[in-house]
Amino acid sequence: MIKLQNVNKYFYRGEPREVHALRDINLIIEAGEFTLFRGPSGCGKTTLLNVIGALDSCDSGEIFLQEREITALSEGERTNLRLHEMGFVFQAYNLIPVLNVEENIGFVMRLRGFSDSDIKKRVLEVATLLEIDNKLKSLPNALSGGQQQRVAVARAVAAKPKIILADEPTANLDSKNSEILIGMMRELNEREEISILFASHDELIMRSVTRIVTLIDGAVADDYKQ
Amino acid sequence: MFKLALKNTLFYKGRSTATAVLTFASTILFILYISLTNGSHNAILENSLKIYTGAIEIYHKDYRDIGGNEYLIQNVKAITDKLAKIEAIEAYSTRYETYGLLSNKEHSAASMVAGIEPEKEKILSSLESALTEGAFLDKNSANCVYMGIELAKKLKLGIGDEVAFIGSASDGSFAADIFRVCATFKTGSFEFDSSSSFIARSYFDELMYAKNRASYITIKLKNIDDAEKVNSQIITIIDDENLESLTWKTLMRNMVESMEVDAVFGYISLSLFMVVIFFVIMIYGFINVSSRIKGFGVLRCIGLSKRNIFSILFYEILILSILATVLATPIAAYICYYYSINPIVIEGIADIYKDYGIVLNEIPFDFNLFTIGWNLGVIYLLNFLSILYPYMYINSFGPFEATRHV
Repeated sequence: MIKLQNVNKYFYRGEPREVHALRDINLIIEAGEFTLFRGPSGCGKTTLLNVIGALDSCDSGEIFLQEREITALSEGERTNLRLHEMGFVFQAYNLIPVLNVEENIGFVMRLRGFSDSDIKKRVLEVATLLEIDNKLKSLPNALSGGQQQRVAVARAVAAKPKIILADEPTANLDSKNSEILIGMMRELNEREEISILFASHDELIMRSVTRIVTLIDGAVADDYKQ
Repeated sequence: MFKLALKNTLFYKGRSTATAVLTFASTILFILYISLTNGSHNAILENSLKIYTGAIEIYHKDYRDIGGNEYLIQNVKAITDKLAKIEAIEAYSTRYETYGLLSNKEHSAASMVAGIEPEKEKILSSLESALTEGAFLDKNSANCVYMGIELAKKLKLGIGDEVAFIGSASDGSFAADIFRVCATFKTGSFEFDSSSSFIARSYFDELMYAKNRASYITIKLKNIDDAEKVNSQIITIIDDENLESLTWKTLMRNMVESMEVDAVFGYISLSLFMVVIFFVIMIYGFINVSSRIKGFGVLRCIGLSKRNIFSILFYEILILSILATVLATPIAAYICYYYSINPIVIEGIADIYKDYGIVLNEIPFDFNLFTIGWNLGVIYLLNFLSILYPYMYINSFGPFEATRHV
């Protein structure tokens, strides 16, 4: 469970231009939820994803991951938290170009010290689920955009994190590939009971998720389950 | 991290090649430069020691600073008997040096006139091998003078010519004689060749009243590297507080200091070169890192610590440094070794630099594995330092900020 209490975040772009990016956010996201943060550009959805993902800090308020307050963690502890509890999917895929698909998917597991045989088994399992098992030896630049994003999802999910944070994962994909990807992520969400949080304004994602949180000017304007 | 670093070095071929080539070139140049500097210094020193100065010399205290007959070593035989027992000494000889006026009918010149033991000098110094004309001295040479070629030219003397000597004997009395030029020598050291002449002690001691006395005792060692150790031994054995035993480092302090100054200036010049190399490598690294900020940001997002990032950069430079030095070191070492055995010959260099102690046209290199080792250490250190700024640059971005870096 993720709990946000009175979370505020400001960006300072030179005095007195202060941007209030997140305003008194109070949210509870249950384990296994398939949630979308939506809203117009600049509404704070990526910022919200970043503070939940311990990539950025908030200026006030608390964020709890299960019972652990992540806003009080040191930089090293936050790095460790990201490694062990979270997975990330970026808009621009952001795969490691020097590693092949198999190595990219298994990278986080390797960092976490899984054995070679466990990594191999899990990589094959996830790759099969995401239908990229025939591309395991390919380098990322030999794959299409859709395939690369599937590799990115596989990398995020392989080490079985508690949460996956996906920032505009379909922004660079056509509708067919977007649909396939979201379908696969939904399946992973159900099979692996991983909470998946999206920041997007893609209609396709909106139709697929179980909960939609709408942000306007950094504040929660609407929050409903479907 | 090592595997990722290895893949990075293979993937970013341009940067890797440039860094490896720069490291390769700087390793070779650095090793060769140090080898050449050390080699030429060693040669100057060796030649100077060969010519006349011993590895160790024993003096009466104050002889070198004040001079004069009251500071001559007395009862020389008692000391040389003790020296004969020291295993590390290859040879020793006594010298009686004085300064006097040498004149012929038209020309005069002040000169050091030294009484030497010719047979021992053959082992101790290069006086005999410096012979240019005539025959080297022996114990029966009587009033034969062995004269530096530049001094002979100054006095317009040839072999067989006579020259008058006026000086002061060891007891302070007036000493004068007529010498005959039996031979001339050229060591290559202009100063020495223009101010030195030698007489066999067997004859000179009678003239100067110098039997069993000496200005100093000169010693040649089996291994010059043992100079300090043997010197301590000599001081203990002689056990005479009026005497001092000095190694070549003290005896040739001016030369040692000038070589050190030369080395320092050499290192300064070289360090400028190394700074350029360092910055070029760092800039290449920086450019490469700048183009990979996004990638590093992703790695930080998914859980790599700053230490992991440093490890990647460290391994990358380590791999390239190892590659470059493994190729460069044998090449540089072989060149050093080859030219230490077959010195580079530059005709006329000895004449140009004769005032600096260069007596041969040969420029030898120094082949020393320890020196090559610390040279490599410097190269590795510079390469490791070159990753610090790029590393700090990466850390100036937050993980997410870095993923959006363009």
